[in-house]
Amino acid sequence: MSAPLIIIGENIHCTRVVPRKSKRVIDAGGEAIRYLAASGEDHLLRIPEAAKSGQEYREGRIKHVMIALDMAMAGSEPERAAGRTYIAALAAAQERAGAAFLDLNVDEISFKLERQTAAMAWLVRALQEMTTLPLSVDSSNVDIIRAGLAVYDAARARPLLNSASLERSDAIYMAREFNARLVVTAAGEKGMPADAAERLANAGRLIELAARKGFAENDIFIDPLIFPISVDAAYGRHSLDAIRGLRARFGPSVHITGGMSNVSFGIPSRKLINDVFLVLAIEAGADSGIIDPVAARVEDVLALDRSAPTYRLAEDVLLGRDEHCRAYLRAWRKGELTVAVG
Amino acid sequence: MAELADIANATIRQEIAEYLDRPVEIERNIALFARTRPLMQEIAVAVIEGDQVACDRLTRQALEEGVHALEIMDDGLIGGMGIVGIKFRENFIFVPEVLACARSMKAGMAHIEPILSAAGVEPVGTVVMGTVKGDLHDIGKNLCIMMLRGAGFSVIDLGVDTAPDQFIAAVEEHGAPLLGMSALLTTTMPNMGRTIEAFIDAGLRDDVKIMVGGAPVTQEFADDMGADGYGKDALACVALAKQLLGVAA
Repeated sequence: MSAPLIIIGENIHCTRVVPRKSKRVIDAGGEAIRYLAASGEDHLLRIPEAAKSGQEYREGRIKHVMIALDMAMAGSEPERAAGRTYIAALAAAQERAGAAFLDLNVDEISFKLERQTAAMAWLVRALQEMTTLPLSVDSSNVDIIRAGLAVYDAARARPLLNSASLERSDAIYMAREFNARLVVTAAGEKGMPADAAERLANAGRLIELAARKGFAENDIFIDPLIFPISVDAAYGRHSLDAIRGLRARFGPSVHITGGMSNVSFGIPSRKLINDVFLVLAIEAGADSGIIDPVAARVEDVLALDRSAPTYRLAEDVLLGRDEHCRAYLRAWRKGELTVAVG
Repeated sequence: MAELADIANATIRQEIAEYLDRPVEIERNIALFARTRPLMQEIAVAVIEGDQVACDRLTRQALEEGVHALEIMDDGLIGGMGIVGIKFRENFIFVPEVLACARSMKAGMAHIEPILSAAGVEPVGTVVMGTVKGDLHDIGKNLCIMMLRGAGFSVIDLGVDTAPDQFIAAVEEHGAPLLGMSALLTTTMPNMGRTIEAFIDAGLRDDVKIMVGGAPVTQEFADDMGADGYGKDALACVALAKQLLGVAA
């Protein structure tokens, strides 16, 4: 049997943070993140003083991927090695947890395009020396994607371009140029889709465009776009109905994916919501997910006990049956959501 | 000085005792609710509890009893929302609950606004809001708009993918003293700076306060590009808007 889910591992993103009060953050003659290196040994990523000036840090969050990448690219010699070892550990952890692709996003490393493109090129080269997994080159700017694909050694597994949409359909040509597989999102030309029907229409136009450009169905990963359920109780159904509609319309070969953890933004016990949403998305026809497989072990997620009260509370939230998440938040306040499901 | 026991409504007393921690905020809220009518406190409770039906009913009742629309807005609706904002900031409540509170507030404001506008009472202030050029994300911006409207601001929503000249045209057309820009992408954030430069080039920068927000935006970035303020979420946006326009919190 094939893997239940093609995981596009999303942990190598410059947006990622470790809370300063996490158990992984220790005082080792200076603040440091404790981690397991790819070699299996315990290592420390020491937080450089220069990384402590920003707002994120002051608010208690360490942008660990960005810090490691900065060190690896531009630090002193020992810093370079330390940053590189950290990034290799992230890649190894994703691979061990079942990632089929490693999604790389460096957008937040700088506001300067030349710095962003340099970081993406550096990261693609470095990761290709660390892992045989194909890379997913992810950015909101096609120039940054191009910088990554341009240095990608295509003799290895084909890369994934993340992403094309109606507002930047030229990314489809870029994927052709670099023989990349392609994520297409359901974003419209002038705005985000308002419901499942708009998602289907937008994604449908792009898939047809990609098919005309010679993409095989199984080279395409559709991201229907997943929005936070905290903002609108209908958002869960919009994405799930879109997944069902896409599967019905485009058949079994095309891949359906998505940034699954977006769904839980703004509410507590995010992991519970994320896990249950993943179950519902797979059930609706998704065969892939842009997720952190270290946080969401797919075997565990699929083994959730669906009759558990916590599962049903999360499902009610996700299917729009719990207005303003009242029942869910009531249970959270009583401490009932910390109980493991299944 | 007023004390907690001077507040008639038990729920309000409990909210202040349980959720407020900063002395200045405790003092301000005790002073407010100790002097307001019991019915205004009930309206505030309806907002705090996100009870749209009660908020609608109590607001109508207050108007029928002859309470001035402005008093209902300031002492009841905005008073309640003040506590909601603090609870959200301190992670006692979450986005869906804040939205329920905002909807309740809106149910009350629906009765208040026509009266105020017929009487020629200006809204708290006019704000032009939009997501910058190249960026189609609008969830965060829409939350800000909902909260601003709830707080009595009149908001001109320019939608997404807004070019600098569109921001300028809207600010001029509506004579808005305040502009809010949103960006969710690092790659579109620089367009906030470009928009601010366009205001400078047009000779209009001194006529308008500019606030910015969005996931990748920070205070440092806001300072760097010459914005007047940064808000980290929708309620911070409201507080900032009040501060920039010199409206009492």
